[in-house]
Order: sequence, then structure tokens, then C-alpha cells
Amino acid sequence: MARPSILRRTIATPLILSALLMAFALVAWFAGSRPFNQTVIDIFLQVVFVVGLYTFVGNSGVISFGHIAFACLGGYVAAWTTIKPMMKGMAMPGLPDWLMQLEIPFWAAALAGGGFAAFWALVFGAVLMRLSGIAASIATFAMLAMVNSIYSNWSSVTAATSSVVGIPIIRTIWPYLIAAILAVFIAWAFSISRYGLALRAARDEPTAAAASGVNITRMRLIAFVISGAIMGAGGALYAHSIGLVTPDTFYLGLTFTTLSMLVVGGIGSLSGAVLGVLILSSLIQGLRWLEAGVQVGTSTIALPGGVQEIALGVVMIAILMFRPAGIMGNSELTGRRARTEKPGQPGTN
Amino acid sequence: MKRLTAILAATTCLSGAAFADDDRIIVGFATAETGFMQAYDKPAQDAAMIRIAEINAAGGLLGKQIEVVNADTKTDRAEGAKAGLSVIDAGADMVVVSCDYDFGAPAALAAESNAMISFFLCAESVKAGIQGVGPNSFSASVLGPVQGATMAEWAYNKKEARSFYRLLDTWTEYNKSICDGFDWMLPQLAGATLVGEDTFLNEDASIAAQITRIKSLPEEPDAIMLCTMMPGAVSAIKQLRAAGINSMILNGSGVDGSYWLSAVPDLSNFFVPVQGSIYGDDPNADVTAFNAKFLEVTGGEPSTQYTYPGYVMIDVWAKAVERAGTTETSAVVAELEKMNGEPTLFGPRTFTSELHHQNQARYLIVETNNGKPGVVDEWTISAPIPVADLIK
Repeated sequence: MARPSILRRTIATPLILSALLMAFALVAWFAGSRPFNQTVIDIFLQVVFVVGLYTFVGNSGVISFGHIAFACLGGYVAAWTTIKPMMKGMAMPGLPDWLMQLEIPFWAAALAGGGFAAFWALVFGAVLMRLSGIAASIATFAMLAMVNSIYSNWSSVTAATSSVVGIPIIRTIWPYLIAAILAVFIAWAFSISRYGLALRAARDEPTAAAASGVNITRMRLIAFVISGAIMGAGGALYAHSIGLVTPDTFYLGLTFTTLSMLVVGGIGSLSGAVLGVLILSSLIQGLRWLEAGVQVGTSTIALPGGVQEIALGVVMIAILMFRPAGIMGNSELTGRRARTEKPGQPGTN
Repeated sequence: MKRLTAILAATTCLSGAAFADDDRIIVGFATAETGFMQAYDKPAQDAAMIRIAEINAAGGLLGKQIEVVNADTKTDRAEGAKAGLSVIDAGADMVVVSCDYDFGAPAALAAESNAMISFFLCAESVKAGIQGVGPNSFSASVLGPVQGATMAEWAYNKKEARSFYRLLDTWTEYNKSICDGFDWMLPQLAGATLVGEDTFLNEDASIAAQITRIKSLPEEPDAIMLCTMMPGAVSAIKQLRAAGINSMILNGSGVDGSYWLSAVPDLSNFFVPVQGSIYGDDPNADVTAFNAKFLEVTGGEPSTQYTYPGYVMIDVWAKAVERAGTTETSAVVAELEKMNGEPTLFGPRTFTSELHHQNQARYLIVETNNGKPGVVDEWTISAPIPVADLIK
């Protein structure tokens, strides 16, 4: 009896977020500028990453520093499966024959990347999900470092630290938009599923949840695998957006960017994850344009180089000062927030 | 927020409105203006700007003035792709990308997919060109292996070096490429032997273990081929000398410059190959004049030889455009590929349809003696390194 109502009560969130993403895509399409188009592609990829991260972190309450490792796994799957066999042989001679001959379209590579990452998330998760709190976070960090060292040194299969080039570049915005929207819907569907609800119960009241029969380790593992799959697909698409992969692309820089976007948006909220990316990316972009210089009349106004990084830091501190739980806190965009806004009573909870 | 984005989008359209027209030629720099790559890109870019100013002062290229558009890669690969696209949208006829292959490739790939010429400012990997980007990509510098090969052959012929020791810092591809060139050359030198080899990592605080192995050789080797780069190079050199190893030390161009010499006082018997001398003693007086001009324009003398490829880049490209009579990609690439020993301020340059890089080049040999670096010789390897050996 309550089941149709949870769907109906929460479906507005992914719809609103998708509309927002669509609006960005349309602006990029109408603007017709290729660098701007690339910027929006980048934003969509960040949305995929942050939503992937949210699927685990938001629902389980365990901060993960390791999710970018799954993006790395996915990125290299794209390299293994889409580069022309001849170029592959040169850069990565150690690949097995069947993989060497394989050349699949980018969307299949994204799916394969997601699957590969999900498999490893299952393997790692089976061990790591028994831990909780800070110990789990540190263990995920170790996983990131481990994946990074393997990919930076296994030269016959990953070309070690050299860039792997030859990945077909996809510069139209639509595949990335679809990926971002799919990620949002998967994350939403998981969070309203019984597993998602059980996991959030375990996040807020682990003892009570366990007493009510919630297998916390198993719930976390499910979330870990799903979020790993999203990250993997995102990583593969990332590879297609610039045409090359290196292990250090998928390391600390991207880890902290995505985490801070999630924290600024609101860890416990899907809308927060998406808005965090959209707001911070727009800010970064705006500041970069100001750094490059804006023509006003006959004179050009430009900020000194490096201001972007500083201003971004200041804005993030300000947001966290006034909204310690992030922009969205724990609430979601439901289209009727004004009337129903009560602490502890947001859409999905 | 949507409105904000719309406004921002509108501004890019305005700033991107400098479309190519018929009375000027545009060079687009998609290079690092911030981040660590800036230290490599900026000097080479300044040198390129000097050549552009010279061409413009002499009446321009094909009678048109050369203009420049810039986009910052922020030393970031994803930003690099955007920077490449923005200079292309701003009407660039040629795209200049970051010094390093890894950081320049995204912008170069963007240029390649728009069938445009891209030039790496000073990349020394064979991938910075046809092999790693595509048929319209070039590098303005010389391949890393040529440096290792040059040092080995020169030391063999001019310093009578017969026993060599190979010490490789496995940190970067650049380091490995220098030793690859050395490995290629050594078997061709009759009577030269490799008495030992070892590796270390740039960040290693101590290379005591490696030094012990050198010390335990029955005889001190004539020469140590040291394939490393900054910042670890300084510490490795210091430790070698402090341990009383006085063999001549051969290096790649990455350790050129006098900025670090105070850390190893009275360093001697130390050799570096360079494309041009920053020490004011280049055999070509025009190079010294260029250094003076660089000082006048930028307020400082070139600090390493990696400044020079930027100048060479504009020089060879402009010549190709002049000969082709157009900036159209295929015509200019064809002209560039016809260059065989094309004279430049920093030695002859050759491009072929299978290699857009130098696999043989004239190098000046700089010796540091009692802490004072100076040009002592010049050397060109006896045969170009075959492309097949470069790609392996």
C-alpha cells in the first residue's frame, strides 16, 4: 500500500535533476562552441562520478576514497577494447589475443567498463565491507593506491605511466547526457529500493537496523558494486572524451575533486550530488573565463592566473560554514520543498 | 544558474569570434600558463613569440601578419583537450601544444581530429608525432634516444671511453629513452663494453647501494651514462662525486642549466648535450644574439636549452607555409616532410613521412669543469636511429 506512494513521492527528484542536466546540454548545443561543449561533457562526467560515489557514500555513510580506482578500471577497459588492434599491439603487447583483436563501439566499452569495475568492486567489497567507519575509509584509500600502482607499473598490459592513445574520441554531448541521466536514475532506484532503505537505516541506526534483520555487510556490498559499476562506466566515457588514459588521471586529484563536490552538495542527497557538480563546475568555468579575460567595451578585464583555485576554495569554505551538511543537506529536490520542508522529513526518508 | 551558464556561454561565443580571415595567420597556443608544466612551456613559448615578432617585422608570412591566440591547459589533460578546441575555434591555423607528450597529447589529438597541424613545443618522445597522435603532428625538439646515443659515441671517439656504466632513473619515459639511445649505440662501438648497469628512482634519497656496486667494480668505469632528470639528478650526482667516483658523467639534456650547480660545488668531468648554448659561448654568434634578445624581451636569459625548440618550431613551420603558399594542412605537412637537413639557428632539421621528429641531430657538448659549464665540442651521431628501434 505504501509502495506506489514512495515511487510517486520520489520520482520527481530524478526527473527534476534530468531536466536540469538536459538544460545544460541544450545550452551547450545552442551555444555551438566546441570548448564549451567539451566543458559540459566534462560536467556530465563529473555528475556520473559524483552520483556513483553518492550511491555508496550517501546511502552507507562510509566515506570512500577509493571509488576513482573503479573509474581507472573502466577507463582502461575502454583502452583495451576500442583502440585499433595495430596500435594496441604497440602500446600494450601483453594483452591476450582475443582482447587484442577486439574492437567494440564506445557504448559497449562503457558497459564493459562498468561490468569490469563491478566485478572488482565485488571482490574488494567482500573484504572491505566488513569494516566500518574510518577503518573502511582508509581501506578504500589503500585500494585506490593499489590499483594505481598496478596500473602504473604493469607495462605490458597498461603501458605503465605512459599515456595510452588511440581511444576514439566522442565529442557529441548526447551519450554523456544519457550516461549522466542513467546514473541519476540508477542511484535513485537504488535508494528507494528495499536495499537502499535498509542501508540508510543501517547508516543512521546500525544497532537497530541489525536487530531488525538487516545484514549490513551485504547491503553495503550491494551499494559498493552498483556504485563501482557507475564509476567504471564513467571512467570508460572519460577515456572517450579526451582520447587517452593514464593512471595518474585517476588518482588523488579526481578523488578529491569528486569528494568535495559531493560534500559541498550534501553527502546524503542525490540532488546534492548533482547540484554540487553543477554549481562548482559552473563556478570553476566562470572563474576561468574571468582569468582568460572578458571584453568590456574596449578594455579587457582579467583576473590574475590562479585566482580560480583560490576563489573555489573560499566559496567551498563559505558553503560549508553556512550549510555544514552541504547545499542540500539530507533533502531532495521534489518540486514541493517549500511546503513540506521539515527537518528529517525529506522526500525519500 | 541556468541563466548564469547561458551568460557564460554567450561570453565564450564573443571571445571566440576571432575567426580566421584572409588577411592574417593565427597560431594557437594550447599550452600551460599555470601549473608545473608552465616552467617548461613558458620559455619555449617566449622563444616562439620572438620568432613570430621577427617574421611580422619582416613583412609577415605570405604577406600577412601572424597573430596569436592562447588557451591555458592548467597542466591538466582534460583542460588540455578544451584548450586545443578553443584555439581551433578561435581560428588557429596551427596548434602549439605543451612540451610534454602526456600533457600535450589531448590538445594535439583535438587538432588532429580537425585535420590541423599540431606542434609539441619540446617533447622528446617518439610518440609526439605520427606514432602517438597522427600524420599532422610534429615535435620541435630532438628525440631523447639521440641524446644518449650522442653522448656514448662522442665519449668513445673524443674521450677514448671504453668501459661504460649505465645508471637509469626509472621515474619517467624521458629517462628511459635516453638510456635506450645509449643501448642502441653501444654495440656499434668496437671495443666498448658495458661493465655494469643499475637503476634507481628519482625520489630515492640515497643511491648508496648503487654506488657500492660501482665502487666494487675491479676498475672505475671510464664513463657513467646517467639517465635521469631534475630534481633527483642533483642528489644522484652529488652522491656519486662524494663517494669519490671520478668517472666522466654523461647525461641527457634534462640536466642542462647552471641553476643547480651550486648544490654540487666544483663539479668536473660532467657532460651534457645541448641544442644551443645558454652560456654565451655558442659557436654560432646568432645564438648569443638570440639570448640577448630573449633577455631584452623577457627580462631573463634562457635558463635551459629547452627554450630553443620554440624558436625552431615557428621557423620551420613558417618556411613550410611560405613554400606551400598556403596554411592549408596537407600542403604544409608535405612541405615540412620535404625538409632534409633544413638549417636552423640550432642545427639542421629533417622531417619525413614516417617520422616528424629528429632521429639524428647536431648537439653541442657542454662540459662542466670546476663548476663552470661551457661548450667544448659538437657531435652528430654517425647514423640516424632507425624508426623501428625507436618504437619497440
